[in-house]
Amino acid sequence: MLTSKQSDRALPTFITLLVIGVLLMTFDVRLEGGGVVAVLRSGTQAIVSPMQRVAAYAVTPIANALDSLSNVASLREQNAALSAQLAESQASLVAVQDDLAKLALLEQIYDLETDGAELGQTVANVIGSVDAALIIDKGIRNGVLAGQPVIDTNGYVIGTVESASSGSATILPITASRDGLTVLVGSQTGTLVTRPFSSDLGLEMDLDVFDAREPVLAGDRVLTSAASTDYPAGLPVGEVIEDASPESTSLTTTVRPFVDPEALRFVIVLAWPPDPVSAVTDDTIPEEITDTTVAEEATSTTTTPEDDG
Amino acid sequence: MRARTALVIGLTVVIAVVIQTTLFGRLRVVTPDLVMLIGIMLALTRVRTEAVLGVAFLSGLIMDLLGASLIGLRAVVYTTVAYVAIRTRERAELGRVTIALWAGLLTLLGIVVLLLIGTLFGQAALLGGGAASVMILVPLANAAVAALFAPTFVRLVDRDRTALRYL
Repeated sequence: MLTSKQSDRALPTFITLLVIGVLLMTFDVRLEGGGVVAVLRSGTQAIVSPMQRVAAYAVTPIANALDSLSNVASLREQNAALSAQLAESQASLVAVQDDLAKLALLEQIYDLETDGAELGQTVANVIGSVDAALIIDKGIRNGVLAGQPVIDTNGYVIGTVESASSGSATILPITASRDGLTVLVGSQTGTLVTRPFSSDLGLEMDLDVFDAREPVLAGDRVLTSAASTDYPAGLPVGEVIEDASPESTSLTTTVRPFVDPEALRFVIVLAWPPDPVSAVTDDTIPEEITDTTVAEEATSTTTTPEDDG
Repeated sequence: MRARTALVIGLTVVIAVVIQTTLFGRLRVVTPDLVMLIGIMLALTRVRTEAVLGVAFLSGLIMDLLGASLIGLRAVVYTTVAYVAIRTRERAELGRVTIALWAGLLTLLGIVVLLLIGTLFGQAALLGGGAASVMILVPLANAAVAALFAPTFVRLVDRDRTALRYL
């Protein structure tokens, strides 16, 4: 039971821990998640991730069962919608296969070579989450490095790798990132930013186009821009859900991302940029050799879709 | 703190962290904040107050390191909640219902402080959407878990079978 005497050292201890906590936060902000902080994160993940993997084996069926129970009311409608979507997708697939066959024929006729720009991909299971961040079961030894873009199995943008340990990594979804994402809507470039504390669980984002020349319409697709330093160009991000016209030279509208991070079970980490050496480093700087070697090794260990069969 | 007590607390924290980041990280229904609750329930035990604060701080730090939020954010919040729990623990002695109410209110305090400090440090989006629903559902879930397991937890940590027995 409780003892009535309370230590007099509780308050000094509390204040000391608060000061340490605030110092750590300030330190993290100043280091922007790098340096010692990154090492600490990797170390903790390396220790905890084996336990998370084991727990995930037991937890996944339970989580799936509970998710199914919570969704049972809408299963019939979802089934009908998915059947229709499947029929449409199969029709589109046939059309795309025709196009690919024509393309291959034309390339053969004109003796063209593809540029070999296929990105290495690492497929990973989502084994857990902390707040909005997702934890996956692939890490540095599988070629997953901090900063790499992450997509879902449909190719839709999820976010980037925030930190990676040897056997696991943490993904920060675009809906939780403080940094804006440079995107393309039609021919206009804009910035996609999160909407904190939104009532719809962060599934809507704000799109700001600062040099707007034409209106954007509901249903317009939002793609990653070539101006983005975090993602390859042309990846689908979401769609505009409200019409908006330019006011003066800017416009703001709402975008719904294609991916709901909470519903993800699998993700694909892209080995991008494909050539980290030329993208990140300067040959004249000898200190960069270690980093680039790690990046090269990581790139070489990733699996391509062809490898996956 | 004896070695056995330290071991029990350490194991409990590790299990809570693993369950929180896997099972409760995957569920989209009502989920408790088990790691915060450990700090709250420890205040009911005979463990030294400094040790309770230390455990709360370290468990928060582990959660920070596993996630993508600022390091120290949850550590500060869990320590604050544990300190308030230590100062108010006499009010929770009356029975399971008062323990549940006490744990629920402390959890609510923790979430408010987390959102407040998180917003000040630009972490609002990372802490997830639906702040209003989180402020209602997580304290309710923690209250239920505390009502069910707090007496058992206290008996286990204190090795006292008579602790928190109600008629």
